[in-house]
Amino acid sequence: MLKKQPISVIFAAAWLAILLFFALFGPFLPIPDTLHSFEDSLSVGIFSQGHILGTDSNGYDMFAQLVEGSRYSLLIAGISVTIGALIGSIVGILGAFKQGIFDRIANALFSVVLSIPNLLLSITLIAVFGTSPDPSNPVPPSRRLIVVIVSLTIVIVPILGRIARSTAISWSNRDFVTAARSMGMTDRQIIVRHIVPNVMPALMAIAFLAIGVVIVAEGSLSLLGAGIGEKTTWGSMIARGRSDIEYYPHILFVPIIAVALTVISCNRLGDQVRRNLDPREARL
Amino acid sequence: MSTLLSLRNLSIQFDTVRGRLNAVKEISLDIESGESVGIVGESGSGKSVLSRATMGILHGGNVHKSGDVTFDGNLLSGLSAQELREFWGTGMAMIFQDPMTSLNPVRKIGTQIGEALRIRLGMSKDDANKKSAELLRLVRVPDPDATLNKYPFQLSGGMRQRVMIAIALACDPKLLFADEPTTALDVTVQAQILELLDDLRKSLNMSMVLVTHDLGVVAGHTDRVIVMYAGEVVESAKTTDLFANMRMPYTEALFKSIPTLDTPTGTRLPTIEGRVPDPTQENPGCSFASRCSYVQEKCRTEHPPLTSDGNDHHYRCWFPIQVRSTL
Repeated sequence: MLKKQPISVIFAAAWLAILLFFALFGPFLPIPDTLHSFEDSLSVGIFSQGHILGTDSNGYDMFAQLVEGSRYSLLIAGISVTIGALIGSIVGILGAFKQGIFDRIANALFSVVLSIPNLLLSITLIAVFGTSPDPSNPVPPSRRLIVVIVSLTIVIVPILGRIARSTAISWSNRDFVTAARSMGMTDRQIIVRHIVPNVMPALMAIAFLAIGVVIVAEGSLSLLGAGIGEKTTWGSMIARGRSDIEYYPHILFVPIIAVALTVISCNRLGDQVRRNLDPREARL
Repeated sequence: MSTLLSLRNLSIQFDTVRGRLNAVKEISLDIESGESVGIVGESGSGKSVLSRATMGILHGGNVHKSGDVTFDGNLLSGLSAQELREFWGTGMAMIFQDPMTSLNPVRKIGTQIGEALRIRLGMSKDDANKKSAELLRLVRVPDPDATLNKYPFQLSGGMRQRVMIAIALACDPKLLFADEPTTALDVTVQAQILELLDDLRKSLNMSMVLVTHDLGVVAGHTDRVIVMYAGEVVESAKTTDLFANMRMPYTEALFKSIPTLDTPTGTRLPTIEGRVPDPTQENPGCSFASRCSYVQEKCRTEHPPLTSDGNDHHYRCWFPIQVRSTL
């Protein structure tokens, strides 16, 4: 499976690996604290002495922020897409295979959630569950983080669920499923051995796309002030950098480029994963 | 010979948006052990539904089944899917029409053959592998060991159909349903596959039900033929007897629409005019009346019963074709 891969895939994988490394080991690396203000070097450009990506208008180191941002952005995207993919594929595949009332209800729910604009849904959930009416008694940051993750998961479930369901329906009607049944295999064995391996490639490709979508969605939430709040994410960096675009564009461009590279890498990798999981294409 | 499978008044109906559809009507038949029976009929005659319903693998909430299926002394009607599963693979097995879609494209041949062995017979992985290679040798796949590690898309249609046969034979079934096993294959491969099925049936002492729309396929490879039309048995006889004395005009029409080498070039091949009657409509007369060239008034108003000529030759016709040869 890890044979010769196109150069673009190697770059995509390398970029995501670097991100993952900084996200996981950031706290142990000699990186300045995100909240330490370098007051004698405000808004210095990239490649400045001691600040490889410069500082923002508060004198905070951009690289340190980017690293902390990658931790939260990837955490949010990773968790919500993983849980979303699990729930979506279980519901979608079971529904597709068993048909009947369960499938109809699940599909109706997917449609309802899909019909609500994502951002509106997330902001509503965050406003209801992630804020406190009493300013002296704010919700704890961890709860805010969980609400953001859950709200994004709810957006992801129907997207991946639909894909899993439609792919599973087309595979459930193939002769090899009937053949497996006629050999005495149980429904569970048929789903695990015959349906899931065929649904995986498409699902993986879309799940990688979804990681990109969630990173952007989290950015939009932060931009609108409905992000996870206290901690830095790429979205909150973009939100803060907006006002400096005329004089210090690097403050805005650094997180934007990070987001763009990550989304492109996820798409490219997702596409390649689909190809590699499909033996017909992998052997070509 | 003892009776292996017996169907009594088996009827299958489907609920469709246009109402209830009668796919199979009151079919009774017996299959002896070791016997090869052909079921012939055009598309929509209910032949595939009949074989799937007999096994019990028709699934979905819109199927209505009545009548009795007895297999090897066990009454199958009324059993749950769980109980029926005991008979699938080991008692009855099925091979399907299209070898392109009957194998899982993302799994290796070896895994797909071994699966049945491991799940149904509880074999270890190594044993299953050895047995799979043996099965491939049995169905005459060249280089069985290498084939085990291939994916379906790396094999030709004929080879895939051989693999399907190997899977169906894995658990040593007593009865093999072959549902149009050669329709998707080209003519030379068809002959090889039919030959193979014939040899296997004889050497493994299996019964076989060969479902096909092609009277030519049935001719050399079955002991008995059942002709189906619109969900009913319209004629059944020993294969040799049927080809010598066709009594039912439908069988004759089917036979006439097979091209032969001695028809002069440029002759139009006769076809059967019209279409199979709408299976959602009740029809008082003979179901073939609207297309029959010998049709009479009685055919349109009264449904003919299945009558016997006393020689194990049954037909459903008011005015059967007279026996031409007096052999």
